Amino acid sequence: MIQLQNVNKYFYKGEPREVHALIDITLTIQDGEFTLFSGPSGCGKTTLLNAIGALDSIDSGEIYLDEKEIGSLSEDARTSIRLNAMGFVFQAYNLVPVLSVEENIGFIMKLRGFSDAQIKQRVLEVASMLEIDNKLSSLPHALSGGQQQRVAVARAVAAKPKFILADEPTANLDSKNSKALMDMMRELNEKEGVSILFASHDDYIHENVRRIIKMNDGAIVDA
Amino acid sequence: MFKLLVKMAWKNSFLRLSRTLLVIMMIGVSMSMMLGIQGLYDGMTVNMIDKNKRSDSGDISIYAKEYRIEKDLKHTIKNAAQIKEQLQKREGIEAVVLRLRAEGLASTARKSTFTTINAIDLAEEESFGKFSAFLKEGELDLDKRGALVGIELAKTLKIRIGSKVIFSTQDVSGEINSIALKVTGIVQTTNIVLDKSAIFVQSKKLYTFLGVGADEATQIAIKSHDEKLYASLKETYPNLDVKSFLELQPMMKMMQEMMRIFNSITFFIVMSVVFIGILGVMYVSVLDRIREFGIMLGIGMHYKYIRLQIFLEALFVGFIGYASGAILGIILLVYLRDYGLDLSAFADAMQSFGYETTVHGTIKFSYFSTTFLAIMSASVLSVLIPLRKIKTLKPIEVIKAEK
Repeated sequence: MIQLQNVNKYFYKGEPREVHALIDITLTIQDGEFTLFSGPSGCGKTTLLNAIGALDSIDSGEIYLDEKEIGSLSEDARTSIRLNAMGFVFQAYNLVPVLSVEENIGFIMKLRGFSDAQIKQRVLEVASMLEIDNKLSSLPHALSGGQQQRVAVARAVAAKPKFILADEPTANLDSKNSKALMDMMRELNEKEGVSILFASHDDYIHENVRRIIKMNDGAIVDA
Repeated sequence: MFKLLVKMAWKNSFLRLSRTLLVIMMIGVSMSMMLGIQGLYDGMTVNMIDKNKRSDSGDISIYAKEYRIEKDLKHTIKNAAQIKEQLQKREGIEAVVLRLRAEGLASTARKSTFTTINAIDLAEEESFGKFSAFLKEGELDLDKRGALVGIELAKTLKIRIGSKVIFSTQDVSGEINSIALKVTGIVQTTNIVLDKSAIFVQSKKLYTFLGVGADEATQIAIKSHDEKLYASLKETYPNLDVKSFLELQPMMKMMQEMMRIFNSITFFIVMSVVFIGILGVMYVSVLDRIREFGIMLGIGMHYKYIRLQIFLEALFVGFIGYASGAILGIILLVYLRDYGLDLSAFADAMQSFGYETTVHGTIKFSYFSTTFLAIMSASVLSVLIPLRKIKTLKPIEVIKAEK
C-alpha cells in the first residue's frame, strides 16, 4: 500500500519562476490497484508518479510504502526501494541496447540476486505472456516500437514488484499496439496481482482502468 | 551479476568500434615504441658494461693498495700468481686473469703519444672475456714482436697492420728502456680508455722487458656473478685494494642512472598519452550514454555496479591496447636484439662515447610487467572523471529531459 500525506513539491523553489507542482496531496493506493493519473499537460501527474516511484524527492509531506516513509530517504536508499518494490515503464522504452531481449527482461531480477534458473524460468513465463518469447535472443534495435515496449513491461514485471509505474507507456505506439499493450498490462494486474499506476492521456487507458485520479494545477480534484 | 556486467562492459567497449580501435592502436604503437627505446637504451648500457668488464675490470679487480694512486711498477701485487691459484679454487668465480700494465710513450717515425702497455695471455683473456671478439683488423698474433693496438690509438699514431711502433718506459729498476713492436692487429673494446691508449703484448715478453717477477701483476681481474664475493674478498685480502666494477667505473653507474632517467621520462610520456587516450574515449563514451546510465539508476541499478561496468570497459580497452603493444613490442625488441640498429652514420660520435655503431637491444620481463601495471592503472585512473559525472547524476533529470 502507498500512502501520501500532505505532499508538496516545488520546482525552482525560491526563484521568481517558482512552480508549486504538487499541492497538499493526500492519497492512498491499495495493493493490486489499476489506477490512472489523468489531467491536462503540466497538471503534476508525472511529478506525482515520480514522487511515488522514489525517483524524485519531495519538499514536504510524507510518502509511505507499506508503512515505511520513503519521501526523505537518501538517493542510494531510494535506489534500493526502486529496485525492490517498483517496476518502471517509460515512454521511450529505455532498454539496455547491448543486451538481448532475454537479458533485458531478466536485468532487474539479476540486480536483485535471483538465481540464473529462476531468472530463466520467469523470463520465459513473462515473455510468453507478453508474446515476445520468439524474440528472446534479439537485440532491442531489431524490434519494433511495440515489441520494445512489451520488453520494457516484461522487465518491469519480471521481478514481481509491488507497483509498476508507467508514464505515458503508449505515447510512442500506434493504436493497435497501445491497445495490445494495455490489455496485457491489465492481464498482468489480474494474474499477478501487481498494482499498476499510469500517467497518460490515452483514451483507451481511461476506458480500461479501475480507478482514475484526476489532477489539475498540482492538486487532486477527484480521487 | 558480475558476468552480466563483464558482458555489458565488453560490448560497450566496442560500441563505437572505430573510436575504440583508434585508442587501442594509439596505446599499442606508443607502447611498442617505448619498449623499443627502453630495450635500446638498456642494450647500449649493458653492452658497454659487458665490454668494459671483459676487456678490463671484470666484475671485481684486485690491485696493490697504492697502485691506483701511483701507477708505478713498484706497486705490483707481489704474490699475484699465488692469489690467482687461491681464487680459482673458490666457488662462484668463473675466471681469473693476471695483468701487468705500464705507462709509457709510443712513437712512430712521425708521431708519439702517451700509451699504456698491457701484458696479456691471449688464451686466458679469451676464456675471461672472449678477447678475439674485439679484433677489428689483422690477427691475434703476439709472437715475436707482435702487438695489438687500440683503434683510437691507431688513428692517433696513424698506424696500420704491419706498422712499427717504439714503446718507451721506465722499467722496475728505474731505467728508461724501449721496445720495438710490430702491429699485428687493431682492437676495439669500446672501453674508451683502452681504445685510446692500449697496446697489448705477450705477457712473458713484457715481464722480461720491464724486469718484473713472474709472480707479480698490477691487476687481478675476476669474473663472477656471486654478489657476496666482493665483501668476502675484501675480508680475505685486507692489504690489497679490492674494487667492484662500479667502483672502478663510476661513469658506468652514472650512465646506468642516466639511461634509467631517460627510460622513466619516455615511460611517463607514453603513459600520459595512454591516460589521455583512455580518458578521452571513456569520457565521450560516458557522455554518449549518460541517459542510459540515468535510466539504469532509475530502474534500481546501484551506482557501484555502473562504476564497476565503466572500470571494466576502461580495463578492456587498456588491456587490448597493452596486448597489441606487447606483441608489437616483442617483435621490435627481438629484431633489435638479433639485428640491432645500424647507427654507422654516427660512427665517430658513437665510438668516442664508447658505443658500438650497431646498437643491440635487450629484452627484460620487467618492461612488460611494469607497462602492464602502468596501463592498467592509467585505465582505472582515466575513468575517475567520467565517473564523477555519473555519481552526481540524478535519474529524474534524465527522465525529465526525455519527455
